Amino acid sequence: MSRVITITSGKGGVGKTTTTANLGTALAMQGLRVAVVDADIGLRNLDVVMGLENRIVYDLVDVVEGRCRLRQALIKDKHFPDLCLLPAAQTRDKDAVSPDDMIALANQLRAEFDYVLFDSPAGIEAGFRNAIAGADEVVIVTTPEVSAVRDADRIIGLVEAFEKGHPRLILNRLKPRMVSRGEMMSVEDVLQILAIDLVGVVPDDETIVTATNRGEVAVLDRTSLAGRAFSDIARRLKGEQVPFMVLEEQQGVIDRLFGMFGRRPRGSER
Amino acid sequence: MGFFNSLFSGKRDRSSDVARDRLLTVLVHDRVKLTPDMLEQLKAELSAVIAKYVPSVEPGEIEVSLMRGESSDHLKADIPLRRTT
Repeated sequence: MSRVITITSGKGGVGKTTTTANLGTALAMQGLRVAVVDADIGLRNLDVVMGLENRIVYDLVDVVEGRCRLRQALIKDKHFPDLCLLPAAQTRDKDAVSPDDMIALANQLRAEFDYVLFDSPAGIEAGFRNAIAGADEVVIVTTPEVSAVRDADRIIGLVEAFEKGHPRLILNRLKPRMVSRGEMMSVEDVLQILAIDLVGVVPDDETIVTATNRGEVAVLDRTSLAGRAFSDIARRLKGEQVPFMVLEEQQGVIDRLFGMFGRRPRGSER
Repeated sequence: MGFFNSLFSGKRDRSSDVARDRLLTVLVHDRVKLTPDMLEQLKAELSAVIAKYVPSVEPGEIEVSLMRGESSDHLKADIPLRRTT
């Protein structure tokens, strides 16, 4: 049975679009038919993150307003023919569609794909409500920062108020070295504050920047730690039991001493 | 903050702990929808009511705060009384 999952966050810039692109690609790599939908109308971005910006002819609003058929607007991925992008409109705004339109769209996509991922805009207003309207479940992306966690808490409340069940969490851009020095909230800190189930932790990783520069996604890069984390999350979404990557270092006095002088014993950084 | 303090004792100085504590406070306020302004007003009215029954209350010293607990949040009031001996 198909599943429709919305990726959202409240705060902007925490990695929703990167997460959507990577999870979509990872699920396609695992042999599933996947549609990724850019629900950020007016601020289209999922296309550039996936390197598909030159292939856009029609967009989500064209589909909703009946100017084209769904299949005409879907763009096939460069690597996986069973992965498709439905781009957002760039010249319209969020009021161009309604939650009912989005539910109808989600149901149309269900018929063709195993997984449908909606990339939500930031915020808690119409765009966010549209993005979750058709979802069976919601995944919240946050980073270990006070502003992002506060917004995540607000979003959790809203998702529950809209009767979308209990959302699950992806903690993005964790810096294990900072956590072990006590300079960044840990996975446990964030989970304790938000009281939510964790679906994965993604380490802060430069390969995300370099991959995005080229319009590629990190899951295609075997050397990317973040890419591996996203692949693991995709498998967990499918219901597989995948152990969590060990990111945080056990910190002893020696480590802390080295930490204070800005050095670490060789090999201690993952 | 002393160098050795931070090395051996000062767990509370860690910025991650500060972040967590600040978040816990902010989230309780967000969830209860009580602004700092309203909290001040609550405090003023509370002292007025208490002063009616307990004359030895120190109105300026009443502390009202929202606390996050394990299973529920608490509105906590600390009301010091003047000693009349």
